[in-house]
Amino acid sequence: MGELIVFYSLAALICACSVAVVTFRNPVAAAIFLVLDLFLIAGVYALQNAHFVAAVQVIVYAGAIVVLFLFVIMLLNLTPNDLRHSRHKVPEYMVMLVLAVTCVIVGIALLVSGPSGVDKTKDVLDKIGNTEAIGIELFANYIWPFELASILILLAIIASIVIAKKDKPTGLLKQNKKGVF
Amino acid sequence: MVSIEHYLILATVVFFCGMFAVLFRRNIIFMMMGIELMLNAVNIVFVSASNELGHLDGQIMVFFVVTVAACEAAIGLAMVIAIFRRYGTINTDFLRVLRG
Repeated sequence: MGELIVFYSLAALICACSVAVVTFRNPVAAAIFLVLDLFLIAGVYALQNAHFVAAVQVIVYAGAIVVLFLFVIMLLNLTPNDLRHSRHKVPEYMVMLVLAVTCVIVGIALLVSGPSGVDKTKDVLDKIGNTEAIGIELFANYIWPFELASILILLAIIASIVIAKKDKPTGLLKQNKKGVF
Repeated sequence: MVSIEHYLILATVVFFCGMFAVLFRRNIIFMMMGIELMLNAVNIVFVSASNELGHLDGQIMVFFVVTVAACEAAIGLAMVIAIFRRYGTINTDFLRVLRG
């Protein structure tokens, strides 16, 4: 029963945050709601005994990817005209309130889940809810995809540097600046 | 007890929100946020399947999806910067030419 209540609260907040991400005009507000959304989804993972995945979700998604989004948003320095300014004005205390509620619910999700709260055999839970088991699986059966993922990340680093590098001002660029595109 | 259908419905809602962003927003940054939402919906399905079947493969897949998402975000945002530097806008209405 407790699990159901936590799930429905999480689900309602996830849906609300997803809609907010999609509908807000202000990209910074949307990115903040994306962080919240990813954090709540980490709560859903914790509810399903995937605690390590929940930790990875918070660290990698909310911690790294959305920070990258925010960096780019700040770097572009879009004017209100670019955004056709927002009508959705959110007061700060609302954001703080939602954030606090999120933290409480994710905490409850972490408390409710786990071996005691679910009617699964201990054998299965040892298998799926265990970080050690994930590590063994990852480095035994999935070692090749794992290594390929490292190459993929290296390629992504090089590619993003090459793409975002400032190219020399050529004739073509000047032509484009006049509005040929 | 929360059944797997609950999680699948939640994932569907999140996926459609992301799809809405990709289809109907004109700002490239919002479209990329939509892609992140869709990848997260897929991750929810993977984890719930892993939990339902008592098998770890779904959780392992989530790690690879997260890796791909990180790479996609890095390259996509680099492209956003390059586009903004070149054309002065990231509104897709103004980016109609496929020529570099």
